[in-house]
Amino acid sequence: MSHEPAEAELKDLITIEELCFFFGDNQVLKNINMPIRDKSITSLIGPSGCGKTTLLRCFNRMHDLYPNNHYEGRIRMENRNILDKGQDLIWLRSRLGMVFQKPTPFPMSIYDNIAYGLKLKKITNRSIVRDLVEKALRQANLWTEVKDRLKESALGLSGGQQQRLSIARSLAVNPLVLLFDEATSALDPISSAKIEEMMVELKKDVTMVVVTHNMQQAARISDYTALMYLGSLVEYGETNDIFTRPKMKMTEQYVAGHFG
Amino acid sequence: MKPHSGRLWVNYLALGLATACALFGLGLLFLILYDIVSHGLTSLSISLLTQDPAGPLGRGGLKGAFLGQGLLTLMAALVGVPLGVLGGTYLAEYGRDKKFSKVIISLCDLAMSLPSIVIGIFVYSILVKPLGGFNGWAGSAALAVIMVPLVMRTTESMLSMVPWTLREAALALGSPYYQVIIKIVYRQAASGILTGILLAIARVAGETAPLMFTSFNNNYFELNLNRPMPSVTVSIYQYAGSPFDAWIGQAWAAALMVTVVVLFLNILGRLLVKVKKA
Repeated sequence: MSHEPAEAELKDLITIEELCFFFGDNQVLKNINMPIRDKSITSLIGPSGCGKTTLLRCFNRMHDLYPNNHYEGRIRMENRNILDKGQDLIWLRSRLGMVFQKPTPFPMSIYDNIAYGLKLKKITNRSIVRDLVEKALRQANLWTEVKDRLKESALGLSGGQQQRLSIARSLAVNPLVLLFDEATSALDPISSAKIEEMMVELKKDVTMVVVTHNMQQAARISDYTALMYLGSLVEYGETNDIFTRPKMKMTEQYVAGHFG
Repeated sequence: MKPHSGRLWVNYLALGLATACALFGLGLLFLILYDIVSHGLTSLSISLLTQDPAGPLGRGGLKGAFLGQGLLTLMAALVGVPLGVLGGTYLAEYGRDKKFSKVIISLCDLAMSLPSIVIGIFVYSILVKPLGGFNGWAGSAALAVIMVPLVMRTTESMLSMVPWTLREAALALGSPYYQVIIKIVYRQAASGILTGILLAIARVAGETAPLMFTSFNNNYFELNLNRPMPSVTVSIYQYAGSPFDAWIGQAWAAALMVTVVVLFLNILGRLLVKVKKA
């Protein structure tokens, strides 16, 4: 793209249309409609069990790993419906990376952790792999801390470093979207702040969807916020509006901490 | 009288009883080990490993039996380890939470506690009788049958201990499931699976009953699996029951060797787990 769009004109990268999701007979998501805007951070907030993680896991079809659940409605991205039965899940998951609550270092060296996804994409040229590993580690603000011990086991890193490693690993395969499932809730405040800082910087490259219990975090880093309750979308809007002049009474009460 | 002295007394009684039972069991074990070591060491010589069997008065050895046992165990491991590991992989990964897998796991537990002589007779009826005689293949098969449920069950439990989120993380990168298993789950569980394999080998290395019905024994050096194979454990059984001092001595020495090998495999297995944790 030759010009940076102003914040108000960000285009929709993903649109969720009439999305319902069922675990067996139990409907967990109820008619969700909302956009995910390109090159922005969207926060999903709401009390425990409201369906925000379930929604996040619809984007990369993680639910398909488990039996007895099904989707209705559409999630549109790049002129296709992610929820189509024939959707190539391996392709889809390489376009939408995911970072989990607990860091998930693979039992191999720091370097091999990042190179793992590149191998999947059949990128094997050594110097290209080396450059991409460095780029991903720099993007995740981890490079300076690990550049002298790339061959050491990733399991020896601290929790915060492991989480940034997980992020770097997702970034290495050049995804369109990064999905964060409470990615900082298990970390100390300093590690958490480092990741937030990195996420804001990453906005120029990737679109991010963030599930968080931490409302201050949602307010600090996200451009758009969606409040969910009992499987429904209560309100979606620019983060500023959601926190300062919400349209719904429930949103006002939730952001003020009256329930949750 | 202090308010808790009654309970304290019961506590000492229980502790004392438990300690006494433990010491009794351990004492018996040390007695056996002492017996094997003291008798075995007096008869142990290099000729045990280098000489063919001799008459009751000559100075022979059990070279053939050691080689035969090694070959039988190796052949059993070649079949039993892949079958066990792949079976365990199915149970923990593809067949996870399926009723079928739960039935197989229960059957594994049953097979593990089956007297090994039953397996010997089973293999006798399918690989010895129809083929017209004792043979090495049957011996290996019997040992493999003992190994499979052991390896399968340890593989299954080691893989199940790998946190599920690790698989999700790899799948979320766009990795096909078989690659997640091979490159990540196996790697994470490697030392545990290897320990299971070593313990299974140690277990079959000391088996006698299934071999008596299958590979039987052979007084000569034999590497042809179509013929009866000599093995250390069956030789111990036969020599120990003989009236000749030289043979009885060799049986002790061979028993010591088997004990040392099994002990070594067990220690190696435990070390592997320790290395992993460090």
